[in-house]
Amino acid sequence: MTTKAEFLGGIREQMKRTLGRFAASSARRPEHPAAEAETIRRELAERWPETLDAFRREFESVGGVFHKVASVDAVPAVVSRIAREHDASELVAWHSAALGADLGPALAARGLDVHQMPDAEPIGVAERERLRAIAARADLGLTGVDLAIAETGTLVLVSGAGRPRSTSLLPPCHIAVFDRTALVESLRQVGVVLEAWHGDGAPPAAGAVINFITGPSRTADIELTLTRGVHGPREVHAIFVEQGIGG
Amino acid sequence: MTGRRASLMVTCLGDLFFPEVGISIVRVLRKLGVAVDVPTDQTCCGLPLFNSGYHGEAAALARRTVALFGDSQHVIVPSGSCAWMVKHEYPGLLAEAGLAREAEKLAARTYEFSQFLVGVLGVTEFTSAVPGRVTYHDSCHLLRGLHESQSPRTLLGKLRGAELVPLPGADECCGFGGSFAVRLPEVSSQILAKKVANVEATGADCLVACDAGCLMQMGGGLTRKKSRVRALHLAELLDGDR
Amino acid sequence: MSGGELATPFRQRAGGALKDAFLQEALTIATTKFIGLRQEAFEGFPEGEALRDQARAIKEATLQQLDRHLETLIGNVERLGGHVHYAATPAEARAIVVDIARRTGARMAVKSKSMATEEIHLNEALEAAGITPVETDLGEYIIQLAHERPSHIIAPAIHKTKGQVAELFSRELKRPAEADPEALTRIARGELREKFLQADLGITGANFAVADTGTIVLVTNEGNGRMVTSLPRVHVTVMGVEKVVPSLTDLMVFLAILAKSATGQKLSVYTSLIQGPRRAGELEGPEEFHLVLLDGGRIAQIGGPLREALSCLRCGACLNVCPVYRQIGGHAYGYTYPGPIGILLTAMLEGAPAVKDLAHASTLCGACADACPVRIDIPRMLIDLRREVDEKRIAPWTERVAFKLLARLLQHPRLYRFAARAGRVLQRPFASDGRISRLPLFFGEWTRTRDLPPVAPRTFQERWASDKDLRT
Repeated sequence: MTTKAEFLGGIREQMKRTLGRFAASSARRPEHPAAEAETIRRELAERWPETLDAFRREFESVGGVFHKVASVDAVPAVVSRIAREHDASELVAWHSAALGADLGPALAARGLDVHQMPDAEPIGVAERERLRAIAARADLGLTGVDLAIAETGTLVLVSGAGRPRSTSLLPPCHIAVFDRTALVESLRQVGVVLEAWHGDGAPPAAGAVINFITGPSRTADIELTLTRGVHGPREVHAIFVEQGIGG
Repeated sequence: MTGRRASLMVTCLGDLFFPEVGISIVRVLRKLGVAVDVPTDQTCCGLPLFNSGYHGEAAALARRTVALFGDSQHVIVPSGSCAWMVKHEYPGLLAEAGLAREAEKLAARTYEFSQFLVGVLGVTEFTSAVPGRVTYHDSCHLLRGLHESQSPRTLLGKLRGAELVPLPGADECCGFGGSFAVRLPEVSSQILAKKVANVEATGADCLVACDAGCLMQMGGGLTRKKSRVRALHLAELLDGDR
Repeated sequence: MSGGELATPFRQRAGGALKDAFLQEALTIATTKFIGLRQEAFEGFPEGEALRDQARAIKEATLQQLDRHLETLIGNVERLGGHVHYAATPAEARAIVVDIARRTGARMAVKSKSMATEEIHLNEALEAAGITPVETDLGEYIIQLAHERPSHIIAPAIHKTKGQVAELFSRELKRPAEADPEALTRIARGELREKFLQADLGITGANFAVADTGTIVLVTNEGNGRMVTSLPRVHVTVMGVEKVVPSLTDLMVFLAILAKSATGQKLSVYTSLIQGPRRAGELEGPEEFHLVLLDGGRIAQIGGPLREALSCLRCGACLNVCPVYRQIGGHAYGYTYPGPIGILLTAMLEGAPAVKDLAHASTLCGACADACPVRIDIPRMLIDLRREVDEKRIAPWTERVAFKLLARLLQHPRLYRFAARAGRVLQRPFASDGRISRLPLFFGEWTRTRDLPPVAPRTFQERWASDKDLRT
């Protein structure tokens, strides 16, 4: 088998022959990403309504369903309405610490069968399987949002304790709750935030995956005819909470 | 007389198969006060050899061409592909022979015909030799190699006695591709069939292009179909004030 | 099939494709649609041109320091708890993956769409080792059931009608299937859901790998990439070495143009940034992560003539605009990667002899270079391949002799003039009505479907020399 030294050695040999026909440099990385991310956040705080409008437009154009409520107390009503529209009752949700609010009781009161994901790693394979089975049969998945990108209508979700990947993937309907603090304008700004999370900033969670979700799952593999809900959710809802989610 | 001199690079296909195109160019330029000369013993710019990978042989032709046109003030070329060859490939081909500078000088003085009329002479209005509807096909090397799609359209748009109609898929290849046309003739012919269908759908009387290869391919397809559409070089249409 | 003795296997396959009515319609519809989507996406995106230049520069800069970036990537992947393996050849890559599968006791592997794994023929090796590979991208799932290879880089089953897919599903899945894309998608969703949940091993490629952070980036629309990298115990990524980019900032430049070039979307539905196996506190995610770095001919091009082709993002834009691909589809090319970039990649992976015919499967129209998000000059490299084929005497000797003869003729004006006069005489039996509609031998390849103008009674230069009124 080829060793690392042999492999890289072969590359170095080849590189000696390179011509470098034109001047080329990779992208200029932010020198102080956390500071730059903070500046972005401050500037966006002032123009969040336009950013939200742009997000809504893009999100809807990729097939997302947008909702706006004044306060987080109004979220359960929206969720239960969506559930009724789908004749659905079983809901799996991020842990309340990850969501930023404890919506479980209000949702249960509306007749939903709520399974909140634990915020600690399950002990034992049996427990892991049980939780996976719940996610696999749930009709609805309720998550928060770490970044909402206006340029593309994208929801960015970081995985971690209490915020499993499956919540936004296995149920056929994904409902994401967010507020103005998640809004960013562009992919370029997202780059700065990601650099900050990786570098000196603190990411929203410590999981291994950052998922960018731009609308419901889709394919056009058969005769280029668009169909939704291939493996991921058929529907994605974003509920914007005007007054903010956390306290 | 404008004091301008132009040398005609007639091209191998132009010389052998479309001499009337060269004649039209000479007449059009003369009428505009340009003194035209034709260096003797021209053969080919070398593009067919270059495209098939015979670069040594192509370089020999490049060398010959650079010498032939050494005294020219402007070199006018009826085919976009040949003009592209001279302007873009000659310097590289002749670098090894130490003739890159001469090649650059020739490249700077070389123009495809429509580019010369519009870009250098600033002349855009002519009377059409062929009245009726015309449609224009973008030859690949002129369009993507020389970045030229406007000059021919300006000239055709202002042509007295002709009405320019757009060709769907004008920027799509006609399927000639030099030796491609006979290496993969079935594919070449199917590409051509789609082009011909688009041309006929425009209702034009005349299909115009600025490349002999394209005109051979498209003209050959149109006459085989006994189409009423004629394939002509731009110069033939501009040569209207007879 | 006409032109029998002259017809190469490639030409025969191309001819077969031209006669396939289903394929022809599918190709026209699909490529036209993709072209429109891409154009629309870039029309509303003025920053696009600058980003394409930047993307190209990043790829070039990365190649200039490839060893350093790979060292950084390897260090980060290992720091995150992943394992890195080095595959010089496809055989090595297959062996590495099969070994991981065996060692981890995998019986079934779910795969996200990966051209790299197609390239190394991984599925056959897994099957031979008693491990069942299941393709989960709908297009790949379809062709796996059909025992075919992908015919387009991003839409593998583009050559199949919904009727053909329905028939395939009924036959292979032993259940009724309606010829309706929605219904067929639902069937696939149901069938594959079980596989995702049961599989021991998930295998993917990688669209990018970020050196700075040890991140593997997967771009999909269906969600299978997420499933495959979250549910099974083990995740293996097979990735060509050229996919590495230095930083997350660089990554954003590519994400801004990749989906637009491929399908016209601003972003594909799922872009997953994966940093190693699952971490403490996570409910899901693989326990083990393996990155298999693949050479397979790529490294030799770092200093080679096909270097530019290493920038390829596998978006498929060049296929959609290629006049040849649009007529013959992907299977006729005969190798894993079809279309303009496919010819270059085949030369890279299989050597110049493999493309002695494919290098000429192009009119050199340049539409591919125009469409390429990283501005790869494909026509230039095709010409270089043709040159290599000639110089290495891989081209048939008859062809080489003909071209040398042509070169000689064009070098000497007297020979050229003689040839013109000879042509005029020889064409007499074939010319009528100012055109030639029939020629013998090899020249019949033209006249079978097209007329040819005859050599003029007097060439332009002959007229110029003798007609005084032309000269003044």
